[in-house]
Amino acid sequence: MLEPLFGSKSAEKVLIFIEARDEGYAREISRFFTIALNPVQKQVDKLELGGVLVSFPKGRTRIYKFNPRYPFLKELKNLLDKAITFYPEEEQERLLMNRRRPQRKGKRT
Amino acid sequence: MKTVNKMTQAELAAYVQSHLQTKGISVILSGGAAVAIYTENKYVSADIDLVNVNFVDRKKIVEAMKEIDFIEENRYFIHPDTKHIVEFPPGPLSVGDEPVKRIIEIKFSTGLLRVISETDCVKDRLAAYYFWNDQQSLAQAILVAKSARINMSEIKRWSQTTRNMNRYKTFQESLSER
Repeated sequence: MLEPLFGSKSAEKVLIFIEARDEGYAREISRFFTIALNPVQKQVDKLELGGVLVSFPKGRTRIYKFNPRYPFLKELKNLLDKAITFYPEEEQERLLMNRRRPQRKGKRT
Repeated sequence: MKTVNKMTQAELAAYVQSHLQTKGISVILSGGAAVAIYTENKYVSADIDLVNVNFVDRKKIVEAMKEIDFIEENRYFIHPDTKHIVEFPPGPLSVGDEPVKRIIEIKFSTGLLRVISETDCVKDRLAAYYFWNDQQSLAQAILVAKSARINMSEIKRWSQTTRNMNRYKTFQESLSER
């Protein structure tokens, strides 16, 4: 949907995922959309180099978030929010309805 | 002209900037090195952040830097004769979601240095404090505000636009402490 603007499908997926979940790591994004890991990694690198994303190490994983200092962040987020509403309902639910509250270790889900 | 190993950080930044300018690459000094300039080196940073303001292709920067013996390593540029590291953060030159308009020019024997203003330097550091609660950045903002002439009403206005007035108050109170 935003591919003509962003120039790549994986860039759209990365940005949509991070907008919906606030943060994400490359493998998580590639698994969620069942797309190859390599293009996702390339996109997060590119977006970080361009100042759109920032990353933080968490254990052995690198977590990506929007860079609050990116000057067009508000406008970008508005665009992504609107794009999410055009995703199929099932996909929207999968994107937005992830568990955020704590879950005790070892508990059955 | 001084050799690279004898240049101060500001002189080196001016040298690199002036060389890039001859190649049509405009960059402005921001970040920790700007803090060092405005605090007369009370704060020391090895990094020289030169924001690529005319959005020149990185390959062109790599080539131009090679001509003055700076080699790209990861995203940084290093030189065998200096501990200073040069980085080119992406443009546009901004603080929060506002563009930076006022640029200060300082002449050195090594070239002309173009740097963000004292007030924008404080805003730049405060942005990191506001968004990530980074205490080191707050300390740097205080140091600049105490060392240089800054426009506090402009900083207050800008802080309002970022909706961080609580943290602005902390900054303001720290300034009145001895």
